[in-house]
Amino acid sequence: MKDEVRQFPGGPRLDALSKVTGREKYAADYYSGKFLWAGAKRALVPHARLASVHAEDALSLPGVVRVLTYRDIAGSNRTGIARNDQPVIADEKVRHAGDAVALVLAESREILRAALGRVSFDHEPLPGVFDAEDALKEGAPRVHEDNEKGNLLRAVTVRKGDAERALDESDVVVEGAFETSRQEHAYLETEAGWAFVDERGVLTVVASTQTPYRDRSEIARALGLDMEKVRVVAPYLGGAFGGKDGINVQCLLGLAALHSDGVPVKMWWDRTESFLAGMKRLPARMYYRLGAKMDGTFHGLSCRIYFDAGAYATLGGEVMAMGAEHAASVYRIANVSIDGYCSYTNNPIGGPFRGFGVPQVTFAMEQAVDMMAERLCMDPLEIRRRNVIRRGEKNCLGVELKYSTGIGECIERLMEHPFWKERQAWKSAAPKWKKRGIGMGCMGHAVGYPSLIPDQANTRLDLRSDGTICLYSGLPDLGQGNASTYLRIAAAILGQDPEAMELVQPDTDHDLPSGTSSASRTTYTFGNAVINAAQALRDVILGRAGTILDISDPGRAVLLPGKVRDEASGREVSLTVIARFLNDEERTQKGYFRAPYDESTIGIFYLGAHLLFSYGAHLARVEVDTVTGGIDVIDYVAVTDAGTVIDPVVYDQQVHGSVAQGIGLALTEDYLVSDGRHDTTGLSTYIIPTSMDLPDITSVPVETFEETGPFGMKGIGEVVISGCLPAISNAFHDACGMRITKSPLTPERVLSALARKGEVGK
Amino acid sequence: MGEVFLPGSLREVFDLLSGEPEALLYAGGTDLFVRSSLEEGGGKPLVCLERVEGLKGISDHGDEIRIGGCTTHSELIRSRLVREHFPLLMHAARRIGAPAVRNMGTIGGNICTASPAGDTLPPLYIFDAFVELCSAGRARRVPISEFITGPGQTALERGEVLSAICLKKDHGCTFFHFEKVGQRKAMAISVASFAFAAGINGDGMIRKARCAFGSVAPTVFTSSNIDRCFIDKPMDEDTLRQAALLVRSEVSPISDVRASEGYRRSVAGNLVMRLEDLVRDTG
Repeated sequence: MKDEVRQFPGGPRLDALSKVTGREKYAADYYSGKFLWAGAKRALVPHARLASVHAEDALSLPGVVRVLTYRDIAGSNRTGIARNDQPVIADEKVRHAGDAVALVLAESREILRAALGRVSFDHEPLPGVFDAEDALKEGAPRVHEDNEKGNLLRAVTVRKGDAERALDESDVVVEGAFETSRQEHAYLETEAGWAFVDERGVLTVVASTQTPYRDRSEIARALGLDMEKVRVVAPYLGGAFGGKDGINVQCLLGLAALHSDGVPVKMWWDRTESFLAGMKRLPARMYYRLGAKMDGTFHGLSCRIYFDAGAYATLGGEVMAMGAEHAASVYRIANVSIDGYCSYTNNPIGGPFRGFGVPQVTFAMEQAVDMMAERLCMDPLEIRRRNVIRRGEKNCLGVELKYSTGIGECIERLMEHPFWKERQAWKSAAPKWKKRGIGMGCMGHAVGYPSLIPDQANTRLDLRSDGTICLYSGLPDLGQGNASTYLRIAAAILGQDPEAMELVQPDTDHDLPSGTSSASRTTYTFGNAVINAAQALRDVILGRAGTILDISDPGRAVLLPGKVRDEASGREVSLTVIARFLNDEERTQKGYFRAPYDESTIGIFYLGAHLLFSYGAHLARVEVDTVTGGIDVIDYVAVTDAGTVIDPVVYDQQVHGSVAQGIGLALTEDYLVSDGRHDTTGLSTYIIPTSMDLPDITSVPVETFEETGPFGMKGIGEVVISGCLPAISNAFHDACGMRITKSPLTPERVLSALARKGEVGK
Repeated sequence: MGEVFLPGSLREVFDLLSGEPEALLYAGGTDLFVRSSLEEGGGKPLVCLERVEGLKGISDHGDEIRIGGCTTHSELIRSRLVREHFPLLMHAARRIGAPAVRNMGTIGGNICTASPAGDTLPPLYIFDAFVELCSAGRARRVPISEFITGPGQTALERGEVLSAICLKKDHGCTFFHFEKVGQRKAMAISVASFAFAAGINGDGMIRKARCAFGSVAPTVFTSSNIDRCFIDKPMDEDTLRQAALLVRSEVSPISDVRASEGYRRSVAGNLVMRLEDLVRDTG
């Protein structure tokens, strides 16, 4: 594709106008004449044996249509991806406070609320387990009695060389225990959907989901339906960040629609319910030992990492495995030992969240690297540059990096940045009561699925009879703008104005299974499928135009907006005319792509290894207030290797959004739970940053060219967030000469760290 | 949610209240409407004061200024009278919520909500503000410190409306400082706040000092002990260290999901230390 690199026209996102004018319809926006509201009665107890559910009191309320329990479910009543362990409605046990114990259908939202207050249930409280390490101890209460390995959901090990011996041989060994918080996605659009059984008897679920095709099979299995009898539609989402990678409202809604006598059903969690029942980033505790030679060469790494999956598997085990795969960050280390554990607990459900396990381990590794630089009296960027992995070298799993690997250039770019070069002057100009520091963090992030999971996409491009072109997407747009990018890619190949084209959001009826909108793959994998479809359609159009215009040399025909022109004669034919000369089959072109994979890696690691990575190197300038303990991020530089930038607007939005979310993770975001009960209940106590809390963010792309990516790009959606925690933590250390190893770095933690060293008010 | 009434005059308000004694009064609604209890059933009628004539605006009455109860925070910030005579109140109002909240939220609402974290409250305590309370039969003036009786509790009687806040101009202070510690820079509830006003002689000696703290006690915290420890001293490290010690020993904060008791206690004292530099800066 290198010869086809072209300048994409800039300009606003193609979905901007329909969104800002309110025309775009989200899953939460579905209403029709007569419909019912469905809502779940939540357990609010973290662990209990469920005895009976009492519905009479609720059913006596006028306007209450049904109260459903697990007894009303004909299927397995289990959802899950790696393991089918999560009930749609709790049957034998409640395993976390957000479990649903009953489903109520009512004529209005107000009646629904009142009815949920009248549903009660008998239960026998059980002792719970609330810590990932405690969960693995002998005698810990078991969350899933049928799990053979107690509360261990998944374990992975990596052994390369001899880490213990290498640590013995090292001149310097640094070690630390690090802990990260439970982060809430806090998307604008809470979990929502709409469902009905259509005239064909097909259950249609419109949901705010990242995973329509997988949802379809989960709904069918859990509710006991034929796959053919389930359809999932995924309109634009109002944010997801991984939190809608899997089932939330879908099965409850489906169950409701099967019991609503043909009336459509709406479900829309409010913020409280979204916080209570929605997924969170898995908290992690990590024990690291890093050894190096006097010249700064990393010689051995040994780490144990514990992730808390909460009550159900979702993709918690995979998140942990991804963390383990990235545990050595971006460095070449000959001897590595990694033990990763993911435990069930009675805490809120963990699951995918932008970064997928990588922000946690990067927090640990990148601080260990800084500790090492300090011990060796080396410049922290120099020690990174010396150890950073380059193309053709092997990563911590022993997998050779055959694809674009621009982390070295990212670090070099930071070294040239004025904020780095002028750091001493900036630090010494700190105002009274403030300490200034500069920190950096490097990170990598795999693009796509691991080798065992086919990473493939299907699309379809139609030249309609009226001459317009329509693209069918198989992957939802969570708000990141992939739909807009798909149109720009197709338009570039077809020589069209992307605004004149149409994109249809995913619908399982289109039969374009493309995996999930996740894993930094939405544009990389699907964009390649779009290219293939667009090239096929271009060939069909040009071929037929050649016949119509009677061109002997097809190279003379050029696609222009709405038409084809013969460059030699100047004669033109419109796409409308061309469409008339094509049959239905010719006017519809499909595109398929499967990302590169390497079967030989399947034996070495859980689901096989990832082969392709995006990279980044970050610099944060912070001011620490020694009176309040507050950390203010003053400036932020994010250097990113995500291949070619094909849409600068969308690219920078991913960088800015990730940094904002990463600063939240570093400084304020901590979803508080005590013994399984939620202390954080809403956005007034779950502190996400406002625009006032964010610095100017400089996005510096290092444009490596990724041969396998659409126009040379790689995934940008996740890599950036992992740099923020380490950059800010390292900057805090640079400012105050002490380390906080538990995130977020709240004013309270900072002030007590300062107090221990007598640095308050200095 | 219950029925909402939009009266245009105090007369109408009093009539409504006599018919619906359980009704809840509100102005901007920035506190009331985010409370989940409102949805969960109360169902009490709501009386909106926003359109009531005479409750808005800031006026000069010679030796005092009068701020209508429904004056918004944005209006306080823009007011020439407030800036001239009570700049501390302007500084505090600037730190409330974010522009949308400041455009809707009112000073009367902030007082009646009676949260220890209410950001306009510490300056009002410092200036010994009076609140003017009107009911069908009478009007009375109560000092702010007597009006607010506990967290969420006031001396507002059934049938009464907080119509205005009155502030005496002759407070004798020339130096003002307000600092709010929240969990972020906007849309934050105070974890601790500190308001300070002082009169300083030409020789740098403090003639008069008033301190008030938010979020470190059941109501805004003031202490004549602390105020006294500044008198006839320069605003130097020694003076402030003494004051900070007293502050830490006298405040009575709680631990909650936002911060611990210990953090609030130490920060309340620390905030006083910051005065040193500020005085030097302002000369």
